[in-house]
Amino acid sequence: MSIRRLIAVAHKEFRHIVRDARTFFLVTIAPAFLLVTLSYVFSFDVGRVDMAIRDMDGTPLSREFVASLTADGDFAVVAYVQGDAEIDRLFARDVADLVLVIPYGFADAVGAGTSAEVQCIVDGADAITASQAVGLLQGRVDAFGASLHARGTGGAARGFDVVSRAWYNETLESLVSMVPGMMAIILCMPALALALALTREKETGSFENLIVAPVRGTEYLVGKLLAYAISGTGSAILAWLVATLWFRVPFRGGFLAFLLLTADYLVASMGLSSVIANFVSNQQSAMFLILMVFFVPSFFISGLIIPVADEPIARAIACILPATHFITICRGVFLKGLGPVALWKSACILLCVGFAAQIISLGLFEKKLR
Amino acid sequence: MLLRVRNLVLKEFILLFRDWLMTAFILTLPVLQLVLLARATGSRMAGRGVAVLDFSHSRASRQLVAALDVRRELNVCCYPVTLMDSHRLLERGEATLVVLIPAEFTVDIDAVARTPSVQLIVDASNRVPASNALASAREAIADFAADLAAERGLAIRPPVELRTTVRFNPTFNVKFFTVPAQVGFIVYQVTLVVASIGLARERELGTLEQLMVMPLSRVELVVGKAIPALLIGAVDFLLMLSVAVFGFHIPIRGSLWLLLALTLLFIVAQIGYGVLISGIARTQQQAILFVFVLAMVDMTFSGYLVEVEQLPVVLRAIAQVVPFHHYLTIIRGVMLKGVGMDALWSHAAAMLLIGLFVGTVAVRNLSHSLD
Repeated sequence: MSIRRLIAVAHKEFRHIVRDARTFFLVTIAPAFLLVTLSYVFSFDVGRVDMAIRDMDGTPLSREFVASLTADGDFAVVAYVQGDAEIDRLFARDVADLVLVIPYGFADAVGAGTSAEVQCIVDGADAITASQAVGLLQGRVDAFGASLHARGTGGAARGFDVVSRAWYNETLESLVSMVPGMMAIILCMPALALALALTREKETGSFENLIVAPVRGTEYLVGKLLAYAISGTGSAILAWLVATLWFRVPFRGGFLAFLLLTADYLVASMGLSSVIANFVSNQQSAMFLILMVFFVPSFFISGLIIPVADEPIARAIACILPATHFITICRGVFLKGLGPVALWKSACILLCVGFAAQIISLGLFEKKLR
Repeated sequence: MLLRVRNLVLKEFILLFRDWLMTAFILTLPVLQLVLLARATGSRMAGRGVAVLDFSHSRASRQLVAALDVRRELNVCCYPVTLMDSHRLLERGEATLVVLIPAEFTVDIDAVARTPSVQLIVDASNRVPASNALASAREAIADFAADLAAERGLAIRPPVELRTTVRFNPTFNVKFFTVPAQVGFIVYQVTLVVASIGLARERELGTLEQLMVMPLSRVELVVGKAIPALLIGAVDFLLMLSVAVFGFHIPIRGSLWLLLALTLLFIVAQIGYGVLISGIARTQQQAILFVFVLAMVDMTFSGYLVEVEQLPVVLRAIAQVVPFHHYLTIIRGVMLKGVGMDALWSHAAAMLLIGLFVGTVAVRNLSHSLD
């Protein structure tokens, strides 16, 4: 392997990236741009529950009850409804997440010391939001009950005093946990670009020129990899700047450790994408494969939003996916202030996946015409 | 005109099927992916690891730990001895939650005037599981306290009781939410990929110039390119819908025909975006990377990950031009809620307008793109 030829290939690939403003934007700036859009949206995810009220009681106490639920802004009253038909319409139009029905005689039952029943009708179509909303509401209703007790009816069952602290993300903000996780998704782009660069040569026929050129297969592959790894690292730095300066996500680890582990991730994800590129001869198929086997699973089964499922196949795939490990790494470096030593397990898996994939793709690669 | 379009469509299909690998991908991968994602997101989540730091070592504290462990979301996995140990467990991600039971726990339970306290420390670097674990632990502790009070004859009924009715999905089955959304998302990807590549490939390979000198109008060219994408998207949709209905038992409570009609409308609107990208991009690589960026932006504004209603007005307005956002409301409405056109007409109209507008821009843009 000659370094000079390697650099020549990398140089050629760089020209491809820089030559056209659109490609340049897509390879280097788009990841940071995506981070801004995606994270910006997540910064508004405050978990507010939109609630409709059907107050059949209409007493000062029932109004006080509603006010106590909405006091801190977790619940917002979006509508007051009169009949059951209206409830159906609210759910059909997605206006409310749940409807709280306060029956006749609510205040009387509370005054008499018996238990008053309120009903909550929740839209189960979005099961995750629905179960969270019900849990939250139950807590509020209990708190209201406790405040009634404190006011005089007396004899309250003594609860425990639960003090909770959230480490690494004290206010449990979505943004803080999503931005480092998103890094893994947006840094899939260099891998995608590499797969396309490899298949483009085959499709446009310029691969035939390379066959007769005095360049070895290894030099050709590594040269391409080098070009996209460098531009990928550049876009990682840009994304890091956006995360820390714009979104002010705490960065408690070391910058060098971050760069090192990012390079590790890029090698692993690019290794997988060059294996995929080996099997296909046009860019459309390469794109389709990468979207389906790489990008979408990275989004949904890597633990970005919901934790990895308790399902053998899903677990196995999550383990091979580089994004799973890089999400752990990013959250570790950004929020927990960990270094490569504490993250050795994820880093090693990435390294192994990367090397195995690179060796497979070098083994499969044939510098000849089919 | 029909004949010319037909010829172009035939040519596209010959191109597509000549590459048998691609044909196989387009037909099988979406279904495989749907199965995988439905199993992954719909199956029971693994219980989050809980570390118990028990300074009390009493019968009551062990009962509390048992009460935490029986909860589906929590899984007591280790008993660190010091605070430092539990810190390390959180750091390595081996535990999500640390429950600290102080030494005076039993004393506090027995003394009437004192309130027993428990401390929870959660690893909030991933917010959703963190808040779920926290809520579940709080509930378990409250239940435990109530049981304890009942044992001592202190039980009284709470003054306000909450009774919950769950509509559309009584068992809180997560699959009901994710599978229809995934069907929509996969149809979205397939049509966008197929539609966006068409013209970009012709340009990259130099065959666009040949098409331009042929007696084909711009509209015919775009329509001819759009029809294969439409057919592929429709076939994929039918395949996945049958997997969702027969494999995962997702109900279709509304009209199947309405769902099919609105799906076609969605595919058309999506193809509009695809052809627009195809006209802007110089190479297939650019087209693909554009699609990638668009797909991520669309996913964020679709209401799949973040509820659109929570966004500020400006971002909510952006969500209105994303066909996927409207389609997600439609597919969920028809399949799970059984609603009809009277509730969905605004979304259908929005998709129609988007499709018409973007399609017009795509056709107009085509004339400038050959220079």
